[in-house]
Amino acid sequence: MVELLIRLKFTLGRHTTGATRWFSLSLILLGAGLTWYLTVTAASAEVRSSLLMLVLAVWAGGWVLGPTITNGVGVLRSQYFTLLPLDRNRVGAGLLVTMFIGAGALFTLVATSALAWHAWASDAAALFLGLLGMLLLVVFMVSLSRLVFRALGAAMHSRLGMEIASLQWGLIVAGLFFGWVAVQPALAAVGSLSEFGLQGTAVTVLSVLPTSWPVLAVDAAVAGAWGAAFGWLGAFAALTLVTVLVTVRLLAPAVTSRGVRRRSRPLGSRVFDGGRPLLPDTPLGAVVGKELRQWWRDPWRGLELRSSLYAGLFIGLLGLISYLPQIAPFSGVFAVVIMGMSSSNLYGHDGTALWLSVVGQGRDTVRAEIRGRQVAIALLITPLAALMSVVMVVATGEYGAVPYVLIGLVVALGVTNGLAVLLSVVAVTPGVDPHRRVDANDTGDNQLQVWLTLVAFPVLAAPTLAAAVWAGAQGTPWLAVPVALANGALAAWLMGWAAHRRLESRLPETFTRIRYGKEIAAQAVPRSGGLLDRLERGALSANNEIKPTGS
Amino acid sequence: MGGMTRADAPAAAAPALELDELTKTFNETRAADGVSLTVPRGAMLGLVGPNGAGKTTSLSMAVGLLRPDSGTARVLGVDVWKDPVEAKHRLGVLPDGLSLPERLTGGELLDYWGRLRGLDRDVTRTRAEEMLKVLELDGAERDGVLVAEYSTGMRKKIGLATALLHAPDVLVLDEPYEAVDPVSARVLTAILRRFTDGGGTVVISSHVMALVEQLTDRVAIIAEGRVLADGTLGDVRGVDATLEDTFVRLVGAREVSEEDLTWLNS
Repeated sequence: MVELLIRLKFTLGRHTTGATRWFSLSLILLGAGLTWYLTVTAASAEVRSSLLMLVLAVWAGGWVLGPTITNGVGVLRSQYFTLLPLDRNRVGAGLLVTMFIGAGALFTLVATSALAWHAWASDAAALFLGLLGMLLLVVFMVSLSRLVFRALGAAMHSRLGMEIASLQWGLIVAGLFFGWVAVQPALAAVGSLSEFGLQGTAVTVLSVLPTSWPVLAVDAAVAGAWGAAFGWLGAFAALTLVTVLVTVRLLAPAVTSRGVRRRSRPLGSRVFDGGRPLLPDTPLGAVVGKELRQWWRDPWRGLELRSSLYAGLFIGLLGLISYLPQIAPFSGVFAVVIMGMSSSNLYGHDGTALWLSVVGQGRDTVRAEIRGRQVAIALLITPLAALMSVVMVVATGEYGAVPYVLIGLVVALGVTNGLAVLLSVVAVTPGVDPHRRVDANDTGDNQLQVWLTLVAFPVLAAPTLAAAVWAGAQGTPWLAVPVALANGALAAWLMGWAAHRRLESRLPETFTRIRYGKEIAAQAVPRSGGLLDRLERGALSANNEIKPTGS
Repeated sequence: MGGMTRADAPAAAAPALELDELTKTFNETRAADGVSLTVPRGAMLGLVGPNGAGKTTSLSMAVGLLRPDSGTARVLGVDVWKDPVEAKHRLGVLPDGLSLPERLTGGELLDYWGRLRGLDRDVTRTRAEEMLKVLELDGAERDGVLVAEYSTGMRKKIGLATALLHAPDVLVLDEPYEAVDPVSARVLTAILRRFTDGGGTVVISSHVMALVEQLTDRVAIIAEGRVLADGTLGDVRGVDATLEDTFVRLVGAREVSEEDLTWLNS
């Protein structure tokens, strides 16, 4: 069975292409190279040991975060095997084994073999401990990676789980954007790393991590403390075993029933019910109501909203602990920008539900569809982001930042809101269709949208930035607020207009992109088109497709 | 559906639905190869064909979901691809196996849908409530069950409700009976009959011959992207005893002989 699963994995792999794969592969190669470089150039056995602990922790971190970030393309899903008359746990175990076949595990082995080298170089007698540790480390990291990935997917079925997943995502995103604030001092020290190794508390903290235990085992053996050596390695072996067992359990196909009786009415069902309706009796009102409810109730959308807020919060906190308190009041602005990025694939997110907009097309419905989504996003994020910034201003006492925070909030709310709907239409990338979704990142890939937003936001907000710099220099920063307001409103309005014009003229083509996949969609994009056509082509080639194609 | 008003019918002579030489190629596979079909007003037509025959592709092109490589479709004389808004106003569509706004309840979905289609709130509410009751979705609605939590049959029923809500002239339903229980199927049939009795036109696709034979008055057989036969049930059936025989005669079928699959008896 395992052999068959491995073959299936390679067959699936042959049908996936994309830049992410090459990017991850080069990152892994670089990591393996760096690991060996640090190990070989370390000045002493002690330095080498501390560096190995650091490097192994980074490897484990990469395995934990990697699949979540890269959408888990080409991974066998346990649901495929639900109906086969096979023992559930055997399927789970088989699926885990397939994870060890591939470049990731191979180069991790290359990296962990540095531990064996460390053992041999320190004391040849410790070599077998090093070799055992090397193998156990690979098993541990790969299993842990699957465990976290599946646990996230399982978490999407409960509110608490979704909250935890959002926290994790928020931390990842904050780390990606502002990790350098915390990492900079560490990077500055990299040059002297191989000479002095890590000092003080860093080593203490690192040695607690499980990935360091095999290193500690080798060190103990070298020092002649064989009892301690076997203790450390035994503990790590036991932990690895537990990880493997839990992972096998999680990877085993599970059948959950649908149509279960609800214990309570869903969120927001009474908001517009009975009494006077809050939203106007128009297509626009209908779309705003639908969107708000979907944002409140859909765990995948909830994940995006919450992780944006957490990311903003963590960026603020990172600023605080890195002695850059000026960053903290802007945490609301960061939350708004990140929310813009996470909502830049709305149509991919809703999947084939777009058919309703196609067959229900009326004189004004496509405009309502776009504007309604813009209104819903603004209604959700504005109060929360503003509140976050207010709290941060009060907490840090940076009252001088208030006008700048207001300027940033206003322009970010407008520009990212417009960008989100425009990119949602032009760069639409479907994921697993909503009613078949299981894992935390089953929604469509939006890497192109994220990069584009990063580039386009400063460009589109340039008038405001210039005004803020000028007004700040004059000592009257408040003067830039109207500019921000005009800039933001105009950007939101214009890009929303472009989005609904584009969607209206390409309604069936957009649906085709979602329903029939990228190959067939590519036939319908004009070869020598304008900017939006080129953007669409870019999304078709850059974003990964995790949706099974065809009907 | 008594109180519903139908859209003003233009060009009194135009048929309810016309598929005019619809052609679509996916990756060198001709999914539809010049599909032409005329459905007169008030008819109930069954579109039958084997899996992958091009039923869904043809219907998708007829309702504006998939742009044809060539050919077009007209609803009561209005071109779906030249005047989509007007044509779609007269159409009610139920596609097969697609998502809906999954986190709404059935009632909220209909409320959204009615107002998007320009019905006022009270009309939408009355129709939605009636429809949920008739389709036996009212219990789920009271419990606040979301569409994502619906069973496959319930999804079909709420889909049918969205297709009917704005009282269209022409209904195009892709596999409406699939996964629907026998009791609900009777309700569905009664609704469709009421609809055609009131002058409406229905096109359903199916691969269940007995169902089509029992339900519809017209039938079209499609295979490999081409229409092989089209007409009244009697005309298409001709001298054959059942529609299934006609279907097998036209489409061809591999007979299972005595020597095949003997291992099934072991």
